Amino acid sequence: MTATTGALAGPGAATGQRVTTPTPARVLRRGLFWIAAALFLLTIGVISIGVAGSGTGGVTLSSTNPAPGGARAVAEVLRQHGVTVTATASLPQTIAAITDPADTTLFISDPDRYLTDEQFGTATTLARTVVLVDASFGQLRAVAPGVAQAGVVGASTLTADCALPAVTAAGTVSGGGVGYRVTDATLTTTSCLGSGDRVFSLVQVQNPGGDTLTLLGATDALTNDRVIENGNAALALTLLGAHRHLVWYLPTAADVGAADGASLASLTPGWVIPGMLLLAVTFLAAAVWRGRRLGPLVIERLPVTVRASETMLGRARLYERSSARLRALDSLRIGAIGRLGAQCGLPRIATVDEIVAGVAGLTGRQPGAVRRLLVDDIPNSDRDLVALSDALLVLEHDLARALQP
Amino acid sequence: MAVSGWFVSLVALGILPIIVTGDAAMLALWLLFVAALGAVDLGRAGSPRAVRLARELPGRVRLGETVAGTLLLTNTGNRRVRGIVRDGWQPSAGATPRRSPIDLPAGERRAVTTMLTPFRRGERAAAQVTIRSFGPLRLLARQVTFELPGAISVLPPFNSRKHLPSRLARLRELDGATSVLVRGPGTEFDSLRDYVRGDDVRSIDWRATARRRDAAGQRLVVRTWRPERDRRVVIIIDSGRTSAARIDNEPRIDTAFESALLLAALASSAGDRIDLVIYDRRVRARVQGATGAELLSRMVTSMAPIEPELIEMDWAAVPALVRSVTAHRALVVLATSIDAPGASRGLLSVLPQLTRKHTVVVASVTDPTVLDATGTRSTREEVYVAAAAERALLDQARVATAIRQLGADVVTAAPQDLPPALADTYIALKAAGRL
Repeated sequence: MTATTGALAGPGAATGQRVTTPTPARVLRRGLFWIAAALFLLTIGVISIGVAGSGTGGVTLSSTNPAPGGARAVAEVLRQHGVTVTATASLPQTIAAITDPADTTLFISDPDRYLTDEQFGTATTLARTVVLVDASFGQLRAVAPGVAQAGVVGASTLTADCALPAVTAAGTVSGGGVGYRVTDATLTTTSCLGSGDRVFSLVQVQNPGGDTLTLLGATDALTNDRVIENGNAALALTLLGAHRHLVWYLPTAADVGAADGASLASLTPGWVIPGMLLLAVTFLAAAVWRGRRLGPLVIERLPVTVRASETMLGRARLYERSSARLRALDSLRIGAIGRLGAQCGLPRIATVDEIVAGVAGLTGRQPGAVRRLLVDDIPNSDRDLVALSDALLVLEHDLARALQP
Repeated sequence: MAVSGWFVSLVALGILPIIVTGDAAMLALWLLFVAALGAVDLGRAGSPRAVRLARELPGRVRLGETVAGTLLLTNTGNRRVRGIVRDGWQPSAGATPRRSPIDLPAGERRAVTTMLTPFRRGERAAAQVTIRSFGPLRLLARQVTFELPGAISVLPPFNSRKHLPSRLARLRELDGATSVLVRGPGTEFDSLRDYVRGDDVRSIDWRATARRRDAAGQRLVVRTWRPERDRRVVIIIDSGRTSAARIDNEPRIDTAFESALLLAALASSAGDRIDLVIYDRRVRARVQGATGAELLSRMVTSMAPIEPELIEMDWAAVPALVRSVTAHRALVVLATSIDAPGASRGLLSVLPQLTRKHTVVVASVTDPTVLDATGTRSTREEVYVAAAAERALLDQARVATAIRQLGADVVTAAPQDLPPALADTYIALKAAGRL
């Protein structure tokens, strides 16, 4: 504080007043370490994600997924061989991506069953050559009613057993995946990679229109992890590289409900979502408004509050819990005897018998009854105790009335 | 920094342009607008850091009374400070209003008055002052807390002073200052004067009469007596653990203070000398050698900050304490509690040492709820409570009897009745010439 401000403050001003609220600069300085630490962690995180990619998971059989379960290797090799690979995520995208249905292979893998049967039916008619991977019962019913799924294939390696170019090129193929069984003999089908009991991992259906639908059950053969084993690579490249264009369609949540074309956003007015956001901001501002304290709390040391009657109540509870009826009654009797003696005008040193005689004489009761009440009776239950206590009160009351002139 | 309700309203008002345009970008625009407006407002707010503060406080207040504490704010900055100021008093200081609006032009000084009605005895302190300075639009505010300690001493209320006039009248009767038809009790020789009709013939001093020769002939001379003056009264208040117990929502020690104050007021007007010691295991307060108005003032000041300690009273040191106060015969008043024979053993063991030389009065508060409890016995639980209450009364009676057998007097009463009862005991002792 300078001399001028001291003069302004006038006489009696507190000198050297201390401000406890830190200045913004000080808050910043104090928080510098944590800000730096947060920035450091953020940088580390960004760098590590950039280096390691988006993790080991990712979408199975995605053409952009470099993880072991993805299929980027196949897609990349096909690109190098001059095939245009287009990854799509929804049915409209796929429709837009297929410009030349005759020279396009459509690859569909929908393990999460986003598509409805009708959408599936639509999708498989988009191109002349369709490769359907890991098809379920419902999907098969929609696109190839004569083929049924036959469960998981146990064999680790499948050997070429048909004249299909892709299969003969491969020789042997990794077996992991599902198998199919042709139930409708009237269909024109080629079944390959059998694992016994008429179960095949690859079934090619020739539709009457000339379209080819290939059902591939051996999904492991396409994954980055396994594509170099056996003849997997040959199978994948031959099967998918038949045409100049390859559309790699993995249905996503965008396909769900897209059929009717109405989403929540399209049904609500445009101001609803910004309005909700504004409401949230207002709520935050109101919380700060009401929550900001006008200075810290002032601490006060409060004295202990001890009620003096607590000992008495504690003793009463002890009597009650241990059912000390006689002891409780004796306390009441001693108090009553003292008061009765004083009322009778007897000295403090008077004996119980003298008081009994005095009370009996004044109230007209039997001395024996008075003595039983004041000395001899033993309460055997709480009811006895209450009755005797009431009788003591009545006796005191009677004596007081008898003494009234 | 702090936010005002206007700011919140302004943010909420953004719903209008958003609905009108139906555009999500409007939200961002509006928030930017509000933030800019807030920043401008905050920049224009007067700096609360430039405010210089001073307190003007009364030093003492009696419990239950109201005093004004003044806070002087001087704006040494170059912008007007408008906003709220909060004087940070402890809750039991009973400060109203808690926050006051201020409008402090640059270079000027304003006073903010806070009315303090403390509801606890002792030192009531203020720790800080917080100033919230709003900008001209009252949207955002700068807030700063200053450390500015202040304290007022809250004295015992001395409610029992209402009993003082009636007790003083009785004292004057004793003194002979008020005309009464008795000779005037007391044991101390006051003066010789001429016999007037109505004087007790037993008070005629024949020797003085024989010495007296008067032109008008022989006159009878009587002796007058008055109560002893310049006796010592030593009040010892127990501030140990038993004094913390509350009876009728008043700690025992507060009742002891009330009793001591009434007794001191009474005894000092009777011409006696009062010494006060508040003791548990060490001397918590001591008032010695004060007379007149200074006595009560020093007593309340020394009593104000004392709260009972949760330790046992050291009775063994009390005789030496009394010896250190006075070497003469005195009336020793022990304000303590006599609840149970076990807890009063220390008191009982030192009483003979005190009663050998002094007149001792033990003053203790009794709990009226205990007496009430003995009468209500309608349910099983109440019967047990009544039994425990009878037992407690019996214990008290036993201790009181033991104290009387050791030669001391016992005064027990409910909290409101103990001060007058103690004063009455004092008057009775004085009338009996036992001081």
